[in-house]
Amino acid sequence: MDDNVIKVENLVKYFDGRCVLGGISFNVPRGCIYGLLGRNGAGKTTIIRILLGLEPATRGQTFLLDTESTNLAPNDRGRIGCVAEGHNLIQNYKVERLIKLCKDLSLQWNDESFGHLIETFRLPMDRRVRDLSMGMRAQLNLSLAMAIDPELLILDDPTLGLDTVARRQFLELAIEVIQKQGRTILFCSHILSDVERIADRIGILAAGKLVVDCPLEQLKERVKKLRVIFSESVPVNLYLTEIINRQIRGREMTITVANWNRQKQTILETFKPSSCTEIPMSLEDIFIECTRPSDEPVQAA
Amino acid sequence: MLTLIRREIRDHIVYFIAAVIFSAILVAFITATRYNLDWFGSAVFGAFSVPLLVILVLGFSAMGVTQMYLDRNRKISAFLSVLPVTRSRILTARIIAGLLAILIVLVPVTITATVLERIFAPPIPASSGYTAEILTTVFLMAFACYCLGLLNGWTANKIAPTIGALGLNFVLVSLVFVKGFGQDIKFLLVLVIVACLIRTWQKFMSTSL
Repeated sequence: MDDNVIKVENLVKYFDGRCVLGGISFNVPRGCIYGLLGRNGAGKTTIIRILLGLEPATRGQTFLLDTESTNLAPNDRGRIGCVAEGHNLIQNYKVERLIKLCKDLSLQWNDESFGHLIETFRLPMDRRVRDLSMGMRAQLNLSLAMAIDPELLILDDPTLGLDTVARRQFLELAIEVIQKQGRTILFCSHILSDVERIADRIGILAAGKLVVDCPLEQLKERVKKLRVIFSESVPVNLYLTEIINRQIRGREMTITVANWNRQKQTILETFKPSSCTEIPMSLEDIFIECTRPSDEPVQAA
Repeated sequence: MLTLIRREIRDHIVYFIAAVIFSAILVAFITATRYNLDWFGSAVFGAFSVPLLVILVLGFSAMGVTQMYLDRNRKISAFLSVLPVTRSRILTARIIAGLLAILIVLVPVTITATVLERIFAPPIPASSGYTAEILTTVFLMAFACYCLGLLNGWTANKIAPTIGALGLNFVLVSLVFVKGFGQDIKFLLVLVIVACLIRTWQKFMSTSL
């Protein structure tokens, strides 16, 4: 029995000869909230679909709750809650019928928690799913996923289409789930402030590769943006590796360096800069820097 | 499994209602022809039975196509697959629902035909089992056409499944008319059923949802 609830091993996926995922590997330990980030088309949804067994992988293996994704039994699926991108619910069903179907098929159903969510979101039971707004569909999807008290919650852009109030409600709900011991969440979102608020480990996908896979705090610690001012002109070569971005303006240079450590600091100090100040970076800044082309990986220590 | 079968029936209730109505028409037709065979004449019987048979097989083929086509385009299996359900269960429930629809048509017809045979058929060995043979072939033909529908329906294209299923159904129906209700046609229909089910299973289990 492994303590990793999600395991992705050398995952490769081609669509019509185009490589979408080029050998992705990462693990999500039990109780972890993993924020998977990437630009549109980076392959986040593909990873989730492969994990859930909805899409076959070209190469590599994925495991959920110690079972290979392609062999997930109903008992395993009953422990996984999922909110899919676009909220692919059965569109021609009435909300009431969809809820009944999910309840009948589920292994466990928390009526109290579900009733509370439905009341909070004020979802109309007599309307067809296709007549609901995108936000309402997101709320319904989330309520259905939460009603089974999932051990693992997979959220693929769950706040897409939600207004500010509903988004806040969702995040509070997610935090509530997190507080229940041993719950694991895989969370994809474009709203980085949401991810920053709840995730404790981050993976960033760019050009089919996982360029970042480390705890959020470590990421903030290891990716540094520095404003360096030299007394004379800026040196042509700083002999620093893993420079993500560099901008030069006169004697001033702004550099973003991955895997910042004492050794790199010493190398920079040998150039005797007149000043070196750190520019604080938010997750969004790091994400933008990391998803530029020709990145070098930022791996966990 | 019961929930999934119930869902299939409710989602395709039109076909089940049509099956009940069609079954009633068939029972009435068989009873009427038995009681008034001289008045009707065998030519009239033939003229009515051929279109009824064609409607029967086309109806089941359409049901198979609809089940798979709507599933793919409404992403029903994609939604169900994230619940505690496997793809094999979804497909099994679908096939059971199809079989139920066929039985709704054929069971009352079989009962009626058996009773009428006992009342009207001459007590000679040549006529015994004739009804059973016809109904077995009709059942296999209806199921084969349904399976062809399932196979052709798993596509995003509307024209290909319609033309494909129609063409193959006419080949099957023509074969039955040419070869009759003998053992060789039954064997052929079983082969078609097995081939269609294996291919549908393989497609449904391995494709992206």
